[in-house]
Amino acid sequence: MSAKFDTQLLLSRPYLTKRELTRLQRDTIADRRTYNQKKLAVIKFMSEICLHLNFPRRTLETAIYFYQRYHVFNRFETELCYTVATSSLLLSCKQVETIKKVNEICNISLRLRNVPKPSPEMLDNLKKGVFQIELRILESCSFDYRTNNFLHIDECVVKFGRSFHLSYHVCLLAWVIGYDVLKLDTLLTIPQHTIALATLKIAYQILKPGADWFQLVARRNLETDKYSLNEAYFDILNFYINSFDICDLKNNIPPEISYFGLEKFIELKKNAGPEFGLHDFNDKDIEMDPYFTSHRDYSVRERRYVLSPKLVQDEVKSGPSGPVGGRA
Amino acid sequence: MSSFSQFKQLEKLGNGTYATVYKGLNKTTGVYVALKEVKLDSEEGTPSTAIREISLMKELKHDNVVRLYDVIHTENKLTLVFEYMDNDLKKYMDSRIVGNNPQGLELNLVKYFQWQLMEGAAFCHENKILHRDLKPQNLLINNRGQLKLGDFGLARAFGIPVNTFSSEVVTLWYRAPDVLMGSRTYSTSIDMWSCGCILAEMVTGKPLFPGTNDEEQLRLIFDVMGTPNESTWPGVSSFPKFNPTFPQKLPKDLRSILQIYSKEPLDDTLIDLLHGLLQLNPDMRLSAKQALHHPWFAEYYQHP
Repeated sequence: MSAKFDTQLLLSRPYLTKRELTRLQRDTIADRRTYNQKKLAVIKFMSEICLHLNFPRRTLETAIYFYQRYHVFNRFETELCYTVATSSLLLSCKQVETIKKVNEICNISLRLRNVPKPSPEMLDNLKKGVFQIELRILESCSFDYRTNNFLHIDECVVKFGRSFHLSYHVCLLAWVIGYDVLKLDTLLTIPQHTIALATLKIAYQILKPGADWFQLVARRNLETDKYSLNEAYFDILNFYINSFDICDLKNNIPPEISYFGLEKFIELKKNAGPEFGLHDFNDKDIEMDPYFTSHRDYSVRERRYVLSPKLVQDEVKSGPSGPVGGRA
Repeated sequence: MSSFSQFKQLEKLGNGTYATVYKGLNKTTGVYVALKEVKLDSEEGTPSTAIREISLMKELKHDNVVRLYDVIHTENKLTLVFEYMDNDLKKYMDSRIVGNNPQGLELNLVKYFQWQLMEGAAFCHENKILHRDLKPQNLLINNRGQLKLGDFGLARAFGIPVNTFSSEVVTLWYRAPDVLMGSRTYSTSIDMWSCGCILAEMVTGKPLFPGTNDEEQLRLIFDVMGTPNESTWPGVSSFPKFNPTFPQKLPKDLRSILQIYSKEPLDDTLIDLLHGLLQLNPDMRLSAKQALHHPWFAEYYQHP
């Protein structure tokens, strides 16, 4: 940081590798088990608000991305997580244009937490907290909306499904799996269209056991690669294999599809061959990168967020302003 | 911006829809910028217009779209750092008024500006972004004659057609007739109507349809372009604000309306382009890409 300007320049990194994520969360999440349990409760809570207000899946998905991204750079505190969730949802509404008044969202947020008639003071306090956290979320994302602007898992499932001429049932199953994916960290590591492809691949392999997925997608420009797709694919399979009891798929397999259980995912994993995904950095490299080792310093008076590595390079060349995350 | 800032705050440039804009100087690189200070709303938090503008503009990199360099968060405000432009088209045209007489721009300059406007609009539309508030104030220009689209506060992304758009978009004078009659399913054609109005205004130096309310705005449009009916615009009568008692007008000769304010003769291709952009029926309106291939621009696309 420069003493001259008291300013900090941060380059956005909208997706992180698993090791990078683990390194960052080491400083913000003291108890992983509590965090995961609360995350499931919070997703349920956000889903209920979305149901009450008729929000589409993309609003929920974006809110969950914000909630998770916030906790990559800000300490997880159990007593604050519902405020973070409410704030994530408010911001998500603005982002994906399902605008609702903050009062309406806060009222439902309190009602679902057993405060049927909140006093004006209570509402005001929640709003204040929500606004403060909203800015922190924006900073956690480096004001970078490339991740949630145009691509959403459920919409991509439909678009890819149409383009591949997949059956309604394959798409529906992929859509249900897409809801379970929101519980994983995958949203922080893999772009949504690739996640959608992974859910379709799994649904296709479940419902069309003899068919060849690779032949189906061959020679198509899907704007992704096998490493990203595999990363998402194995993330999802591992989730079902390790946590089938807590998944939503278990009780929501569409009635037209014959019931299947955990064994199906074990079988898919067995048939998938060696597990591989995205290349990851080694721990030593990550420790040398200040983006992962220095905490976000909110006391810096001026925090600047950019998307272009070139802008960072230009400024670094011209003078010291303390870039963080400038690995271009 | 405090003196501790990376940017030196210079003179105020104006007030935007949700922010105040200042000229600024990057102390490190020496580059001039426009600093848009966003007021954080005590009732709704970070304005959705700011979020929309940041999210859309950070994606757009084109010679005819103003660049958003970075977003600064200081203690209690957000500042968007934009590429600096010397002037806007409105101020530039106003500066050419002699006495009370508006002056149109030279036609070769009109053509150069309109070409750049079409390039910027085409790029936005290719990237599935509607500007929704194109008007001379939002077209920024510099001393080198470059024109860039700015102020994306009302812009939105579009993909699958949705019925959720508000009709409260686009400054009245540049608002398309379908939007004025309550259409909520408009798309890129909304920007193209505005481009047509801007083209006419550059030619004459005065706004083409300066209405003061929705009703008058429609009346002014129909006075010149003719009153639509089911045969000229199938489906028009089903718009929420379609009024079967609209005074019935026949289309007027656009050339004779504009020519009196222009010192240069207006050629047929220019009038044809205007007709293409100012089609009442949005389905018949030229797209930005089509407009770029219009014969009026032949000298640009034949000799790039």
